[in-house]
Amino acid sequence: MLRAALAVILISSLVAGRAEAAGWTGGDDQPTNPLPCTGGAGPAASKPYDGGAPANAPARKGKKLTVVDIPKLIGIGYFNATSKGIADAAKELGTVTAKTDGPTKANIDEQITFIDNYITRGVDGILFAANDPVAIAPVLKKALSKGINVVGYDADASPEARQWFVNQAQFNGIAKSLLDNMAKEIGEDGAFAIVTSTFTTPNQARWIAEMSAYAQKCHPKMKWLETVEAQEDNVLSFNQATTLINKHADLKGIFGMTSVATPAGAEAVSQSGKCGKIAVVGLATPNAMKPYVNKGCVKSVVLWNPVDLGYAAMHVMRAVADGTLKPGATSVKAGKLGELKVINGSEILLGPPFVFTKENIGKFDF
Amino acid sequence: MRLDARTLLRHETVLAALVVVTFVVLANQSDRFFTAANLLNQGRFMAEVGLVALTMTFVIVTGGIDLSVGSILGFAAILVGVLWKKAGLPLPVAMGLAVGAAGVAGLTNGLIITRFKVPPLIATLATLALFRGLAEGISESRSVRGYPEWFYTLGQGEAAGVPVQVWVLAGAALVAAFVLERTTFGRATYVTGASETAARFSGVAVDRTKLLVYTASGLAAGLAAVILVSRVSTTRSDMGTGLELDVITAVVLGGTSIFGGKGTIAGTLLGLVLIQALRNGLALAGVKGDGTIVVIGAVLILTILVSNLFGRGGDG
Amino acid sequence: MSESSLARARPLRAPARLARAFEAYGQELVVLGALVVLMAVVGAVNPRYLSDTNLVSIFAGNAYIAVAAIGMSLVIISGNIDVSVGSLIGVLGTIAGTLAVGGHSRWVAWLVPIAAGVAVNAVLGALVAYARIPSIVVTLGAMSILRGGLISATSGAWISDLPGDFLIAQKRFLGVPSPFWFAAVLTVIVAIWMRHGAFGRSIYAVGGNADAARAAGIRTKETIVAVFAIHGFFAGVAAILFCTQLQVIQSTVPPNLELNVITASVIGGVSILGGTGTVVGSTLAALLFAAIASALIFLDISAYWLRAVLGLMILATVLADMARRRRTI
Repeated sequence: MLRAALAVILISSLVAGRAEAAGWTGGDDQPTNPLPCTGGAGPAASKPYDGGAPANAPARKGKKLTVVDIPKLIGIGYFNATSKGIADAAKELGTVTAKTDGPTKANIDEQITFIDNYITRGVDGILFAANDPVAIAPVLKKALSKGINVVGYDADASPEARQWFVNQAQFNGIAKSLLDNMAKEIGEDGAFAIVTSTFTTPNQARWIAEMSAYAQKCHPKMKWLETVEAQEDNVLSFNQATTLINKHADLKGIFGMTSVATPAGAEAVSQSGKCGKIAVVGLATPNAMKPYVNKGCVKSVVLWNPVDLGYAAMHVMRAVADGTLKPGATSVKAGKLGELKVINGSEILLGPPFVFTKENIGKFDF
Repeated sequence: MRLDARTLLRHETVLAALVVVTFVVLANQSDRFFTAANLLNQGRFMAEVGLVALTMTFVIVTGGIDLSVGSILGFAAILVGVLWKKAGLPLPVAMGLAVGAAGVAGLTNGLIITRFKVPPLIATLATLALFRGLAEGISESRSVRGYPEWFYTLGQGEAAGVPVQVWVLAGAALVAAFVLERTTFGRATYVTGASETAARFSGVAVDRTKLLVYTASGLAAGLAAVILVSRVSTTRSDMGTGLELDVITAVVLGGTSIFGGKGTIAGTLLGLVLIQALRNGLALAGVKGDGTIVVIGAVLILTILVSNLFGRGGDG
Repeated sequence: MSESSLARARPLRAPARLARAFEAYGQELVVLGALVVLMAVVGAVNPRYLSDTNLVSIFAGNAYIAVAAIGMSLVIISGNIDVSVGSLIGVLGTIAGTLAVGGHSRWVAWLVPIAAGVAVNAVLGALVAYARIPSIVVTLGAMSILRGGLISATSGAWISDLPGDFLIAQKRFLGVPSPFWFAAVLTVIVAIWMRHGAFGRSIYAVGGNADAARAAGIRTKETIVAVFAIHGFFAGVAAILFCTQLQVIQSTVPPNLELNVITASVIGGVSILGGTGTVVGSTLAALLFAAIASALIFLDISAYWLRAVLGLMILATVLADMARRRRTI
């Protein structure tokens, strides 16, 4: 009996998984919206306001605010940078005490518990970057019902669960920027692979879905080899990227979908001696990529400025609490960033994705 | 219960005293801690870990362990969504089947352990990967959302002012305590853990006992999964990750011996309450997330240390 | 055994000796066999799997798990377990990186974390041996304390600009990256020492039956503390190998590391009941897992089913071991 069980297990394990790699069926079943192939990011959509509203919020204009920032997780460079932006804005405003706290793993259940505890503690405002847009909604709605101002950044929640969302860049804009940069480096018929965090991380899943749509539309001859997961660990990302390099003789480019995967991918290319032969394009912080960009291993790093993102989110929070930013507004002033546009009803756009290259990467330090 | 030195120094009593002290200290640090609203709310967050901890008590008392409960929870959670959305089954049927599948998962653990004699740590280490993998594979990492309103009452609703899942947990705790301490099955569980050989020689159906406790462990994870999906209104294949460590911490804190043969439901409940109180109270007092887990780790070690120091005289 | 049968005992003939060797090393051979079969099958499907760059990255890239599994195997053989090793490696790696960029010599950066690992684990061992707290409890608590402490101290800040000569994992000897040599040499040394040294035998004795060991005069408490301390040493070496693979150190706890290390040990034949198993087995099992993880990508197994297949393969290896043990009972 034991031997039969063994045989069944071994055979089923080999059969179970064989499927066509490539292609992407992940994401959240939402429609994709690929941008036009030439030209810039295109006009942002405008919709009526669809955010939520706090119930019986006390008059906070001009008063001191206690704000808590609860990102997806603490302890990674990206959210250290947004946290710094939030702290910078709080210092500049002078009337806000801001604190960053959150789970040590990207876990929605823990994040919900954190938010709930701060609701009980009684804060004036909650800034968040959600691990899951739907799962976080009930606790955010609870915050709204207690008169707390709720503003999101980086990773959104269902619109009615928060008042505003500061969007670093549109999903389709990022997809376009990444693919166009990759096509420039490896050509219109190059083969590429993707290293992402997990297939359930909402932002990454949406970006990849948009990349799939945009690639079909504007770079149909590029070959999409496969997509692998590497969580938020740089050693795992390195190992996965190395395996991809070893497996595909025709691999010309690697996309890194997280600020951890991209430098790890560049390191994998570098240690395999394929600098210049395999392109690495992805999202990353400039500091992590400086060694590779300066060596010529990586030509372009796509990102927005996460410090600016946090900074903008805090200014939006102050404006919302003061009542100067109301539903229906078309723009909001965010300190030194100037006027930011409102798109999609209740989103505030930071700006187009920023491309770091050898020429400009030295000017940044985060 | 006689009120002598032996009873006073039992682990559960030490733990109860610790819980009281903790409540007092935390209430001092923040006036939002010791309010009915907050405590009931914490009960809501406790329910999933609590249900699984009840059955884990049985498992550990038999001298075994189940590391796969978190994965079984994720597996059942995904099934709720997939069976309802993809297979088009009515939601109550999907819920029932998901819990049933979780029970089958637990039964599989039990079979691997009893039929193939694989030690529980290894068996459930393997199934931890397997069930999580099934959850990821079946769901293809998509979430299922948009459930009907009545579904949310389980996780987000109240009955007589108390969250629904707290009633479920309370009921389950009563049943578990009754079974463990007052039925022959409960005694069989203790005997199996104390000495399996002696149990077999006394005619106790050791294998059947084990099969039942591991199946129960799976069922509890399945029920917790349904409650969790209802509480967060969506399914994710990573749900329940790390649950097994929280559960084992609560059970061990509660005085259940990892070697088997000793443990009570009351102890487990106290352990649960202590951990939840610490998580909540410390956060309200302004301690950040990383500080809280350090405290919980230290409390775990210190509580067992103190309990050992006191208990040595009793049962050496 | 009766007197007469003792008198009749003869030296074994070759086939019987072979059979005896198989019994003693059965699990190790099963794992080795699985590794060979895997490489043959995957190599047939996609020959690039067997390219030397790929084999090197499989074995060298994951050698740190094998090194950590050596220490873990000793702990498990002694009848205990350690779920905090992942967090410890994260902490020790961060200490190493901080020292390296802080202007200290690379020897300081390499050796201080190893010493720290020994010290921390000796404390854990003392709690297990003298305070009689079960090892799972002590190490569960330690895991939380180490993880929380690491984040408190570093906020996960990346340590970059590491000096080149510190990055030992990227150095090669005879063309093969050093982690492979570390794993191989340490495995051989420990395997021989466990088999032929008195201390090795006492670890097996304590794990098999602590009371009998004590009755036989073995100082069980000191043995356990020593075992944990040695485990700390290997965790330290593993941490150095782990953190010098890339140009940056992430200052976080690598996910699932303790699970991978424990799995490597138990699949390699170390019985969780204590008292049996060898470190050769755990090293082979660590290699097997690295090979499986890579194979799953080479075999084009749909990414969604990767973990399920891994779980099935673990189960298969475990059941194979049980089948082998049943035959010899």
